[in-house]
Amino acid sequence: MDKKESYIKTNAELEKELAELHQQLDEALETIEAIRSGQIDALVVQTEKGNQLYTLKSADHPYRVFIEKMNEGAITVNTDGIILYCNSSFSRMVKSDISSIIGFPIVKFIANESLKTYRRLFEKCWKTDCQGEVMLRTGLRTMPVKLSLTTLELELGISLSIILTDLTNEKRTQKQLEKSNMELAKSNIALEISNHDLQQFASVASHDLQEPLRKIQIFANMLNEQGNENPREFRKYLGKIIYSTGRMRNLIVDILNYSRLSVNDPFYEWVDLNELVAELRGDFDLILADKKAKIISEDLIELYCNKGQLRQVFQNLISNALKFSSADRNPEIHISSRRVNTKSFKAESNPKGKFVIISIKDNGIGFESKYVDSIFSLFERLNPKDKYEGSGLGLAIAKKIIEKHNGLITAIGVNDSGAEFRFILPIEGNF
Amino acid sequence: MVQKKVLLAEDDLDDRMIFEDFLEDRNDFLLISVVENGVEIFEFLNGLNSESELPQLIILDKNMPKINGVEALKLLKSEEKFSKISVVIYSTYIDQNLVNTCKALGAAAILPKPFTKSGYNEMMDEFLRTTKDIF
Repeated sequence: MDKKESYIKTNAELEKELAELHQQLDEALETIEAIRSGQIDALVVQTEKGNQLYTLKSADHPYRVFIEKMNEGAITVNTDGIILYCNSSFSRMVKSDISSIIGFPIVKFIANESLKTYRRLFEKCWKTDCQGEVMLRTGLRTMPVKLSLTTLELELGISLSIILTDLTNEKRTQKQLEKSNMELAKSNIALEISNHDLQQFASVASHDLQEPLRKIQIFANMLNEQGNENPREFRKYLGKIIYSTGRMRNLIVDILNYSRLSVNDPFYEWVDLNELVAELRGDFDLILADKKAKIISEDLIELYCNKGQLRQVFQNLISNALKFSSADRNPEIHISSRRVNTKSFKAESNPKGKFVIISIKDNGIGFESKYVDSIFSLFERLNPKDKYEGSGLGLAIAKKIIEKHNGLITAIGVNDSGAEFRFILPIEGNF
Repeated sequence: MVQKKVLLAEDDLDDRMIFEDFLEDRNDFLLISVVENGVEIFEFLNGLNSESELPQLIILDKNMPKINGVEALKLLKSEEKFSKISVVIYSTYIDQNLVNTCKALGAAAILPKPFTKSGYNEMMDEFLRTTKDIF
């Protein structure tokens, strides 16, 4: 109000002014409501410079810029699924010009495997806003995207606005996460296995190594108490002590061999099993002659494996066959192989199979078939150790090597007529 | 004094020899037989002519081929005609786990294998103490 105005207003004048102000206020409130609900698209505002026109266009402009600049793709689609509008992000996503997007059906850009998902979303979205994931065609490739569908009331009628979010990175992260989770699970299993091995070793140290140790103690005590009286006893006890120390040494060597198998040894090479068997025949030369034993081997194949470890398997099995030979007949060890296509001992022969079943069969004392599972356990033995020497680790080592090669091992025993060990291995390694 | 009849199941040749050697001076028990493993225990027991020939005490080595000491203990206790015989276990190494398992299965005692003559005598005293006069 002008401060220079000096006359005093009458009561009636003041009331009139108040009514005018009330009306202006009501109009202003109505305008605000109209703008808010979208009923008007232009309004005139009186300013000092005269009347100024505000249209929706001016309010629309920042949103158009915003939609053009955003990373998400944005399109408007009519009820027939024809694209009415797209932003430049969408055109970049589908690697197409706007001219070959607008006016075309949206399904042109949906990958075949996602059409079903898309149709379900397209049906649902007219009733309620919805979201879903589909594969978008982008040139010759595809891209995982999230679709957010919302219906819009336009002058032309109802239409659909779709925002597309690129999920490539998200999927990649997800895949990496799954991969690392799987690796974690794998190393967890490896950890459990090595933990189990460690526990078995603890039991070995506490029991099997104490056995020869106790013998040394007891015979040393006997030597101390009675040795002077009788030179023959003296030599007997000393002999037993020496034998026990030897046994203890063998045990330690075998335990070391076994524990080394826990360490990953990735050195694989092509190994001709015929050569391997020939080498072992040389190693067992003396004992073969001594026992009048024969190793008869068929033509064997080449195998991608850790040579040292596989040699150990053959060595342990042949040595077992010779150790548990029958007194009634000359030992014969038959080594044969056949190719199969599946990792199963029951698989039928297939000359092009990816796996090989190798059999080492003897005519020795055999074993009762009910003990088949226990013979591969650490330090299990079916026969007294004073009759058949050994650490009780030979078959456990063989089993561990075969399993490290992603194979299987089993045995078939017939009491008093022989044992057959069979193992199955992937020919081209465990990859 | 009535001698107690004892059966020993021991697969180790040295330990059989030591057992017999150390305990030959004692006359409070009679070693009626020595078998090599769990299977032979039952062959021996089932081959006896009458209940009066059964041992009062069976000493089992824990580590034996085929049927080990613990398994043999279980089988003995589950068979009516043998279940009253005192069964004890001895082994090179004994841990709490083994003691608990064997106690639960009804073993009268679980002791480590001795390595002196006096050790054998003390072990045998303890074994015989747990033996009940049932036959």
